[in-house]
Amino acid sequence: MAFKAAQQKFTAKINETTVGTGERAISLGGENAFPFYSFDAPVENSPKIGIEIHDSGHYAGVPGMDAYYAGADTLAETARRAAAVEGVDFLAVSFDGAHPDSGDRSVEDCVEAIKEIADAVDIPIVIEGSKSVDKDAKLLDKISEALSGRNILVMSAREENYKSIAASAGLAYSQKISAESAVDINLAKQLNVLISQMGVKSENTVMNLGSAAAGYGFEYVASTIDRVKAAALAQNDTMLQMPIVTPVGAEAWTVKEAIVSEEDFPEWGPMEIRGINMEVSTAAACLAAGSNAVILRHPESVKAVSRLVKALI
Amino acid sequence: MALKGLDIFKLTPKTNCKDCGNPTCMAFAMKVAQGAVELDKCPHMSEEAKAQLGDATAPPMKKFTIGAGDGVCALGGETVLFRHDKTFVSKNLYAINVCEGSYDEKLPEIQKVDYDRLGERMYVELLNLQFTGDAGKYAELVGKAQGAGRCLILECQDAAAARAALEICAASKPLLNGANAGNCAEFSALAKEFGVALGVSGASLDELYDTAAQLEKLGNKELVLDVGSASVKDAFAAAVQIRRAALRDNDRVFGYPSLINLAKLAPGDEYLQTALASLFTLKYGSIIVMEKMTYAQALPLYGLRQNIYTDPQKPMKVEPGIYPLNGADADALCVTTVDFALTYFVVSGELERSGVPLNLLISDAGGYSVLTAWAAGKLSASSIAKFIGEFEIENKISNRTLVIPGKVAVLKGEIEEKLPGWTVVVAPNEAVELVKFFKEYKAG
Amino acid sequence: MAKFIVIGERIHCISPVIKKAMDERDPAPILKRAKEQLDAGADYLDVNIGPAEKGGDELMKWAVQLLQSEFDGVPLCLDTANRRAIEAGISVYDRSKGKPIVNSADAGDRIENIDLAAANDAVCLALCSKAGVPSDNDERMGYCQELLERGMSLGMDPDDIWFDPLFLVIKGMQDKQMEMLEFIRMLSDMGLKSTGGLSNVSNMMPKNIRPIMDSAMAAMAICMGLTSAIVNPCDLRLMETVRSCDVIRNNTLYADSYLEL
Repeated sequence: MAFKAAQQKFTAKINETTVGTGERAISLGGENAFPFYSFDAPVENSPKIGIEIHDSGHYAGVPGMDAYYAGADTLAETARRAAAVEGVDFLAVSFDGAHPDSGDRSVEDCVEAIKEIADAVDIPIVIEGSKSVDKDAKLLDKISEALSGRNILVMSAREENYKSIAASAGLAYSQKISAESAVDINLAKQLNVLISQMGVKSENTVMNLGSAAAGYGFEYVASTIDRVKAAALAQNDTMLQMPIVTPVGAEAWTVKEAIVSEEDFPEWGPMEIRGINMEVSTAAACLAAGSNAVILRHPESVKAVSRLVKALI
Repeated sequence: MALKGLDIFKLTPKTNCKDCGNPTCMAFAMKVAQGAVELDKCPHMSEEAKAQLGDATAPPMKKFTIGAGDGVCALGGETVLFRHDKTFVSKNLYAINVCEGSYDEKLPEIQKVDYDRLGERMYVELLNLQFTGDAGKYAELVGKAQGAGRCLILECQDAAAARAALEICAASKPLLNGANAGNCAEFSALAKEFGVALGVSGASLDELYDTAAQLEKLGNKELVLDVGSASVKDAFAAAVQIRRAALRDNDRVFGYPSLINLAKLAPGDEYLQTALASLFTLKYGSIIVMEKMTYAQALPLYGLRQNIYTDPQKPMKVEPGIYPLNGADADALCVTTVDFALTYFVVSGELERSGVPLNLLISDAGGYSVLTAWAAGKLSASSIAKFIGEFEIENKISNRTLVIPGKVAVLKGEIEEKLPGWTVVVAPNEAVELVKFFKEYKAG
Repeated sequence: MAKFIVIGERIHCISPVIKKAMDERDPAPILKRAKEQLDAGADYLDVNIGPAEKGGDELMKWAVQLLQSEFDGVPLCLDTANRRAIEAGISVYDRSKGKPIVNSADAGDRIENIDLAAANDAVCLALCSKAGVPSDNDERMGYCQELLERGMSLGMDPDDIWFDPLFLVIKGMQDKQMEMLEFIRMLSDMGLKSTGGLSNVSNMMPKNIRPIMDSAMAAMAICMGLTSAIVNPCDLRLMETVRSCDVIRNNTLYADSYLEL
């Protein structure tokens, strides 16, 4: 009596969204099975890994990152180094230095910076914005214009500013956009509806459903992604069939485990190793739940998660 | 396989007597097939039919324990594939792989990681004792490991060595992980003789299935299915398909917990083991064997596990009390928020990032978030005043300024009334604004 | 839980426009009605060609191919007393969007439609009646058992038999409504699917009342576990009710714009 493996077949599938141009362009989504369930259906596009750099400088104080980016005194050079990490599929640029409370770098400066970055790398570019709703409306518009034709992904279309981002990045400059919600499944769906009602095609949008570091309410993240994928595949909910892109680094590198010093917690060991484990664990959990791409900070995390994806595909 | 409604219907008396409370025998049969009604609700079912159908009403995944005394660990008993459907039952357990050469070196490292997180003890529950070919040395290892205070896994496919090991440690109810297609009769007998749970492996999922079915027939009721070490991809496929067959397709042969050996699947790769352990925490690993468990690995892995296995209906709570941050002493500013774990973690994380010494006061707010607790009357001027009194804050802390969450700014006046001598300061609404707030507050 | 399935009832030969279009093989009026119903949110379209004793098989083939080619394989419910016409329709049917539905079998002289559905891997609507309206739920359950047993012994998945409790007109049978609803609960408890001509309840009521009554019945029946209904999807109030019920039953994820989807 052999094992009768009953496959799980879905007629619906996740949209396929392409970011970037040329040989290094990436496709997200496209699957009609749960993550890594290659025994149910072939995995159309393996999950992708992004590396995050910041216009305010690299994420400092972590010896391995300090060493990796040592001597990179321009954003373009930082971007080049980041893009060279083994396993990287795309570059995510965070303009945290443009937030009014932390640098307030001007939109013009940011545009100059992103142009230099774009000239320095050929991998797809993802723009994370400044985390200020008001600043982003203008900033993301100008960046989308400056990188016309590069098919970038603009994150951070939120409830408060999705209209301007959809109109500029999504419609005027034909970039890809990401609807951002914070672990709120109904808002995630509603944002997709609103953006599609503005005329942005579903295949040109992705979702950032929000995240949390392992141990910090990750159950909400896991259940949100689980339910989104179930609705997309089993219920053919077309307003939830967008690929999911999850920024992990910002969550992982801000929790206590990743920031307190070894002097204060000697038994915990080196901070950097803790941060990488936190980042890798959170990213793996996101991918296991169904993220189609994760954004990480540490080169070692990128390599490790890349090994995970290769081993599973 | 679970029985279909029609199979059950055929065994009913087909009299539509309604003694079971259902309008027809078919209605009764359909409900039994779904697990909605117990078979013995029908008083007219023959003993023979009941025996034949008993399996249909059994739970889809067996639940049992391994280990003895303080080291008892629960395994199995899951009923759903996704935690939003229902709470997961038995959290995944961690084992560290040791063999005779590495035991003395590894044990102190293993024992180092042992801490409390929200009332749960976080430590390596199991030792996986790997047999490497020398029965004498293995027995010695087992003897030593018995004193480590951890539940043991005997990873050993050699019957003689396994017997010798069991003679030493059977009383502590180890898991004997050694059965396969070739030795299953012998290992079945061993496990039964010593009364231990039996781990079983197979060269393929089919072979694993057949061997598990055979062992069940031989009377071994407590099995653990080893997903194998051919490749990560195969191991993941096996873990998912085993659990899905049991819970979705009611295939009782695979209704057992799983074992995933990362020491074999990703040897020497700490970060990949962390990644895989996270993956298997979400998707259906019951026992996860690692090469080591450093604090750096434990912190995310145990945190993740605690998250995933938490009851969606029951919020995680932190203990009420004084939590001094950034080296706070009796003169440091007091800050208060609710005992909902997520709020606590987010707020304390931000407060730590501010670098300002602060006494974080957590009162019992029923495990709700700030606004919910306020609306439910669990966070009020009285509850805060009561907490200050009960915990003798005024004797322990000399500072008389209390910072309250921005979302309950309305409480300011009332608290000041109830706590003469205190000044209440209102913090911003969102946790992300706390760093800036406290840095500026400190600056003047 | 799966979403509630709306079977659009408006392609029916009782309508003179449709009858004429069918007789003349004129696609336009049929496609127009199909599109209206699909735009309004129908999941399946019922195609009623009447008794169609003569040329029914050709007509059904024509209608199936017409609708499926125009509307991307829209799933259909083949509705006629002519068994050969149903088989002919299935022979050209595209299953990519869902199995065909045989409309319908009962426990009387149409019981062989169960066999037809089983032989063709189709869904079968099964009326829990033999001749006329069943007198009580015991009788309904008896027919249900007969139909279910027959279907399952022919290898059908119980999910592929959708039981019709027989919705009764309120004007005349007001006292029977709760019992019928109770029967839906019984079906649901058995894990069975259900459907039926829901708007029959408001027959003979004023036009402005019918959507209100149909919506109320839909909400109550869905609460009891009804999984589908054959209705007029162009009834906005009814469709809003159905969509809201889907949210309440957690069959679909809520978003503020759920009514627009």
